[in-house]
Amino acid sequence: MKPAKILGPTLMLALLGASLSASAYDADWKRGRIYYRSVCTSCHVALPVGQINPSSKTMAEWSGYLQADKHAKGKDSVKHYVSKSYRASIKSANKAAEKFADVPDQELLDDVKAFLVKGAKDGEAPASCS
Amino acid sequence: MGLVSLRRSAGCVLAGLLYLFAASGVVADTKPLKLNTTADHSKFKELQREFQSAPEVTKACLSCHTEAAGQVHRTKHWKWEFLHPASGQKLGKKEVLNNFCISIASNYSACTSCHVGYGWKDASFDFTSEENVDCLACHDTTGIYKKPPGLAGHPQLKDVENPPGSGKITKGIDIAKVAQKVGKSSRDNCGSCHFYGGGGDGVKHGDLDSSLAAPDKDLDVHMDATGLDFTCAACHKGSSHDVAGSRYTPTAMDKGGAHMRGKEDKSNPATCVSCHDTAPHKQDARLNTHTGKIACQTCHIPEFARGGVPTKMSWDWSKAGERDAEGKQIVRKDAKGHIIYESRKGAFELGENVKPEYFWFNGDVNYTLATDKVDKTDSVTRINWLGGSPDDGKSMIWPVKVFRGSQPYDPVNKTLVKPHTAGNDDTGYWKNLVWDKAIEVGMKDAGLPFSGKVDFVKTEMFWPITHMVAPKEKALACTECHSKSGRLAGITGVYIPGRDANSLVDTFGWGIALFSLVGSVGHGLMRIASRRKHEEKENG
Repeated sequence: MKPAKILGPTLMLALLGASLSASAYDADWKRGRIYYRSVCTSCHVALPVGQINPSSKTMAEWSGYLQADKHAKGKDSVKHYVSKSYRASIKSANKAAEKFADVPDQELLDDVKAFLVKGAKDGEAPASCS
Repeated sequence: MGLVSLRRSAGCVLAGLLYLFAASGVVADTKPLKLNTTADHSKFKELQREFQSAPEVTKACLSCHTEAAGQVHRTKHWKWEFLHPASGQKLGKKEVLNNFCISIASNYSACTSCHVGYGWKDASFDFTSEENVDCLACHDTTGIYKKPPGLAGHPQLKDVENPPGSGKITKGIDIAKVAQKVGKSSRDNCGSCHFYGGGGDGVKHGDLDSSLAAPDKDLDVHMDATGLDFTCAACHKGSSHDVAGSRYTPTAMDKGGAHMRGKEDKSNPATCVSCHDTAPHKQDARLNTHTGKIACQTCHIPEFARGGVPTKMSWDWSKAGERDAEGKQIVRKDAKGHIIYESRKGAFELGENVKPEYFWFNGDVNYTLATDKVDKTDSVTRINWLGGSPDDGKSMIWPVKVFRGSQPYDPVNKTLVKPHTAGNDDTGYWKNLVWDKAIEVGMKDAGLPFSGKVDFVKTEMFWPITHMVAPKEKALACTECHSKSGRLAGITGVYIPGRDANSLVDTFGWGIALFSLVGSVGHGLMRIASRRKHEEKENG
């Protein structure tokens, strides 16, 4: 490969990395905890799935699950259930969705991920749903 | 390199620069900004290093927060002792005993995992040391800061095989990460000790357990994580690192009214009245007639242990010591998996959604100490008891968790005893299940005599209930108290309509009702008869 062909993409990636580290969002695991318990768990308990404790998976399994973004075995996505539009659709009946109605999607997803990874089976503080 | 390639590369770089320009905060709107603190501690050079011990972190904290350790030194969270201003009793965790794990004497390394300090492993602990103040216990925001029992209040910084030889590795914490993310105290900080008092989640208080870390409105209307989201400090307002509120001098009746901003008020800020005032019921003012005699908590905390975490209701140490056929210690659990028997601790009863018991309480709390005489012929020894009466002008009816137990005492010296329980040594009761050796060590550490004889006495402790405040819709209904066998059936000295009866008043009232009824019916019958007579006359 000619140097000129890789120069641009390499610089682009380097700059992207630098920018991400410069503006990296510091995830709030406590907000993630509230959203996971009030929205995810409250729905899972009502449906036949039941509670899914953060400590039921390892950190790698949670990261992989969220990366794959396949909720209900691929029927829809995890992102959907953290999105502003979903929160808007349930906020009349769910106080957590109402409270966090304006939080950017990616921030809230990062919050939930931070809670799940921290509370994973091999995480820093294994956690249950309640 | 061709011209096209160069142009393409330059385009990429330009696009990247533009992205970086926007994302790195040059554009004000996208700059990541913390709004819950004025200092991002991860940016401080003092904290950007490896720490070999927790006191090293404290030194770094004190290099800026120069007065903090001295302030902490003045508090009950540091001293664990309290001289009661009225009774003169020397109290505090260092002095009192209870009917849970009994006492900290000779068990320091385990108990001081909840001390806001490092290294309190025996009675020689230096209470003047600044670097032994633990800043992180109250200011950790990561939720990973833990102080395991047995390390005298130190966190575990390195991976350790626990128990030794088991192959199970307990990870050490990244204390630099904890230090770089310090912030304001939250429910998680206070709860890391106060939720786990008595040796486990929800064990001691009944109205404090891990369900309050992120509760819903039904569990606590103030701490509701999706609503008001009060921290503990919202009520237990701190000043110079001292936190308001005390188990030894609680405020049973607050006549001071609501606190005003800007007005100095030295009364307890953690009472209901300090916010809600003395006439808080706006929609039904009749309820305000109750506030002179009934603590708010009585109606607004219908049950405790409502968050799914059971609380211990009794602890029988006299049953401890059983072994299985192989001589090993036993653990028994109930259907829900909660421990109800342990060889090293005895038998327990647990409760969820527990209705409190009710007592007149004027704020006086007295203690039976290990220097006081107790007698087994007395039905029950009260380790603490609440002062109060219906006519002292200072008492209100309060909800209380009464914790009942049976615990070791010295039948010769007639005192309660402080056994050495925790510890992986030959005299620790939890390891060897031998009472006399354990008590001898514990009493020696406490500087108290022990005859060598061991018996058990029944004991009680009284814990006023004040957390887990339900929404007003779920407060007690009138009939919960205004009925013959209602919640206040055992309360004396006050007339409660619906519960109490006076034969003269009742006879008079029923008499009036009967006369009214006879009069009304008689009048009606006479009107009907008269009408018929009139109609017959008209019809000829």
